[in-house]
Amino acid sequence: MKRPTRLASAALATAIALTAAGAAIAQDPITIGYSIARTGIYAAAAPSQENPYKLWQTQVNAEGGLELPDGVRRPVEFVSYDDQSNPANTVRIYEKLITQDEVDLLAAPWGTPMHLALAPVLQRFKMPMVGNTAASVQLRNVAPGYIWFPTSAIPDTMGAELAKMMQAEGVQSVALLANELPYSQEFRSFLIPALEEAGIEVMVDESYPPDIKDMTSMLVEVRDAAPDAVVAMTYPSDAFLFAGQAKELGIEAPFVMSLIGPTIDAYRKANGTAVNGVVSSAHWSPEAVDWPKGQAFFDAYVEAFGEEPDALDSALAYMSLEILQQAVAEVGLDPEALREEIASGTFDTINGEVRFDGVQNVVTPTGFVQIQDGKIELVWPEAVKTADYAPKQGW
Amino acid sequence: MDTLLSGQLLFAALVSGSLYALVALGLNLVYGTLRLLNIAHGDLVMIGAYTAFWAISLLAIPPVVSLVIAAALCALLGWAVYAGLFRRMLARPDLAKRVEANSLILFYGISVILQNLAALAFTSTSRGYQYLDTVITWQCVSMTGNRLLSLGVAAAVCFGTLLFLRFHLFGWSLRAVIQRREAAQVVGVNLNRVQMLTICAGFAVAGVAGVLVSMTEQITPFMGFPFTIVAFVVIIIGGLGNIGAGVLAGFCLGLVETYGIALTSPGYRSILIYGLFVGVLLLRPEGIFTKAVRS
Amino acid sequence: MILGVALAVFGAAVPAFGSPYLMGVVFQVAMWIALAQSWSMLSATTGYLSLGHAVFYGVGAYVCVLLTGTIPFELALLAAAAAAALFAALVGMPVLRVRGPYFVILTYGLSELVRHVVMRIESALGSFGRMIFDVPATEVLLWWMVGLAVLATLGAYAIRHSRFGAGLAAIREDEVAAETVGVPVTRLKLLAFIASAAIPGAVGGLALLRTSYFEPAQAFDPVISFTIVTMALVGGTETVRGPILGAVGFALLSELLWSSLPQLYMIVLGVTLIAFILFVPRGLSGLVGRIGRAG
Repeated sequence: MKRPTRLASAALATAIALTAAGAAIAQDPITIGYSIARTGIYAAAAPSQENPYKLWQTQVNAEGGLELPDGVRRPVEFVSYDDQSNPANTVRIYEKLITQDEVDLLAAPWGTPMHLALAPVLQRFKMPMVGNTAASVQLRNVAPGYIWFPTSAIPDTMGAELAKMMQAEGVQSVALLANELPYSQEFRSFLIPALEEAGIEVMVDESYPPDIKDMTSMLVEVRDAAPDAVVAMTYPSDAFLFAGQAKELGIEAPFVMSLIGPTIDAYRKANGTAVNGVVSSAHWSPEAVDWPKGQAFFDAYVEAFGEEPDALDSALAYMSLEILQQAVAEVGLDPEALREEIASGTFDTINGEVRFDGVQNVVTPTGFVQIQDGKIELVWPEAVKTADYAPKQGW
Repeated sequence: MDTLLSGQLLFAALVSGSLYALVALGLNLVYGTLRLLNIAHGDLVMIGAYTAFWAISLLAIPPVVSLVIAAALCALLGWAVYAGLFRRMLARPDLAKRVEANSLILFYGISVILQNLAALAFTSTSRGYQYLDTVITWQCVSMTGNRLLSLGVAAAVCFGTLLFLRFHLFGWSLRAVIQRREAAQVVGVNLNRVQMLTICAGFAVAGVAGVLVSMTEQITPFMGFPFTIVAFVVIIIGGLGNIGAGVLAGFCLGLVETYGIALTSPGYRSILIYGLFVGVLLLRPEGIFTKAVRS
Repeated sequence: MILGVALAVFGAAVPAFGSPYLMGVVFQVAMWIALAQSWSMLSATTGYLSLGHAVFYGVGAYVCVLLTGTIPFELALLAAAAAAALFAALVGMPVLRVRGPYFVILTYGLSELVRHVVMRIESALGSFGRMIFDVPATEVLLWWMVGLAVLATLGAYAIRHSRFGAGLAAIREDEVAAETVGVPVTRLKLLAFIASAAIPGAVGGLALLRTSYFEPAQAFDPVISFTIVTMALVGGTETVRGPILGAVGFALLSELLWSSLPQLYMIVLGVTLIAFILFVPRGLSGLVGRIGRAG
């Protein structure tokens, strides 16, 4: 019997706080809480998400702050903690952010496990959060409510789209190499039937553990099979290994995909021209004429951090805050009103228009990018592409 | 079958084997002479990798030169750790009695500090640079320049160290300390000096390995731990404190990994390695090569 | 003993009065007490330092996620504990023949081996991380966790103050001598190993229910093993209160640090760890004892 009472009192407290905040001077900052993996296994991925957060904050504050429906602008302040790459900590941190720190808004942590662990917490405290770096068909099982996923890189549609793209490029046979971590395996499970349907023969199908240190024997097998395409379902660390050893062994397939990794700035710095032509998963490019905000974001990011934003994670992280910003400008800080607005509104982001149906973004098309002359170009689908796909010319 | 007999696989096995041997060599020196379980060993590899990255990115110093810089830097760190922490610990009987447990925690602390200092100083963004990545083909074996260099340096350092231990006076005292600690002191070996120089050497070797790794892998503050593990696997298989057998075990692990994957499937790679490791420990806890090879 | 009772009362009071955040903290502290205390049943009593307790936590989590939805969660937790104990019974005989630093590394390797096997199984089953719906309320989970912490503490107390415990202590002092005078060392070690495995299995299940998501890489995270050992050693292994003090002290310190020094807290934690080993060799427990005697 304690819970309803506490929830009611929490709601009351929130209401009072909100009224008080409304009356307060305009300079009173709006606090946004999030947790991020500064240490542990996901730490290398964190900057690609936290940098856009910081960039967004600087930009918003330079304009005088986050705009509320009455036109008042209040500066933005972040409250963030390290979740040590552990979803149990993520849960605890968001409970603390909501109940102890009493933040006004929430931003997302990094990674699918963290997002999935958070969904019940958000539901319990009725706090909305726009997710970003999570992609799994399991997300669709999350009951619609207080969390949304703007990504369109969901494995099932990606599998279907990739098969379609390969068919369009005349690929007839393919070698599949997949990391054993969940995202790669999920993608593989949807890709295989899609390839079958498209009439593309799978000549090699191997899975490897995430701590692999040498791919020679796998790649020799691929080289001997000589397929038209190699789809390596990599995570960042093995993406480096794959690129280096595919070059060493002279893999000649004209269509080469590496799932996660190629959009990271360091990947191109480490591999130079060798990785021109590598296809990867992302649905954003700064070059797209339909998304004018994209180039501005890209330039500001490069200026602020001295490297290019990750076309997948950085773009998603920034998008999630754009959505939040526009929703707040429309309805203010009340969690329920925000939930309504995010669930039903249409938002204008660096990745074009975004609208949610249930938990999922239904507008942004699933796409693929290709490294061309060291730049990330969107090459699929036709409707939004910034450049034509070009077969890979050696390493 | 053709693939199995091709030089390509042998080259791959030697490249990874030599690197394993090198990383393990440093760890084995430190364990052998000081009985310290250095689980911060991989973090020294990380420091070596960052040294090479910053040297080439900011100062255009090639990794070949960074080998020396990284070795010096890590040796300095070894000296600091020894003088600041371990001399004190080893000198106190109550601490020295549980030296393995205590060193485990001490090095865990050092590892946490090193990783997070690196993250604070360099951010955890992954880094990489391009170096010697032209492909050389010889007798149907294609080799990237940087992997060939890695093989050469790692093998040279490993065998150089073994020769040094066999023929130099200091090498003799070091082996004496490993095998008969008390007796070595009686016959006039300066224990303190041997221990300090060994920890410096052990750390320096890890730094060298880091430079080699940085040429082909992504560099992050948290990249070290897998190297710590590989090093432990290798020195356990060889036998703790048995330097020569450790080097041999490193190469063996490279062969087992590469040919194991070729014969089964890449999915069994880690199961194979840890299975071998657990199997060796259960059947021959003193290491497989203890009888066969004496360093 | 008194500490245990106080803990139980405190834990019981929290769901009634505490904020969700406080409940989260208590859940965490209780979890580490349960784990460190279980660990001490084998490692503190016999001196066999296990660096692989994550394996029991992981096995428990895996069994629990497989059973969730088919049977009530209480039964799933019991099954998790039973599975972990069974696993310990199966591997115990060969594993416990290995001693000293070899045992430390072997337990670690075993944990990694099982992690990779589970990953392989999951990928063969076509499962990509498992999500659990309809988890019990946090209050309920907290009750369970506090219960496990109390149970582990009582268990550790009972073992230490029994003939069984005396036998284990004899093993720690001199295993060969103990065996000569007729202590059934093999059986005692095996029983201690099983006892120290069961509760971590249930803890793994509970922790899983709290995050509602299972992925082998996380369930068998080696950091869990390291943290357990660290907490127990910082607390002091000579008394039953040691692991409690270590777990509470360490968990609260990191809680305090991460919220006040988000950038530096891991570094501060590392420094604290080193300072502890060097200056407080008998752990928090020894420190408390000394102050108690002085005052």
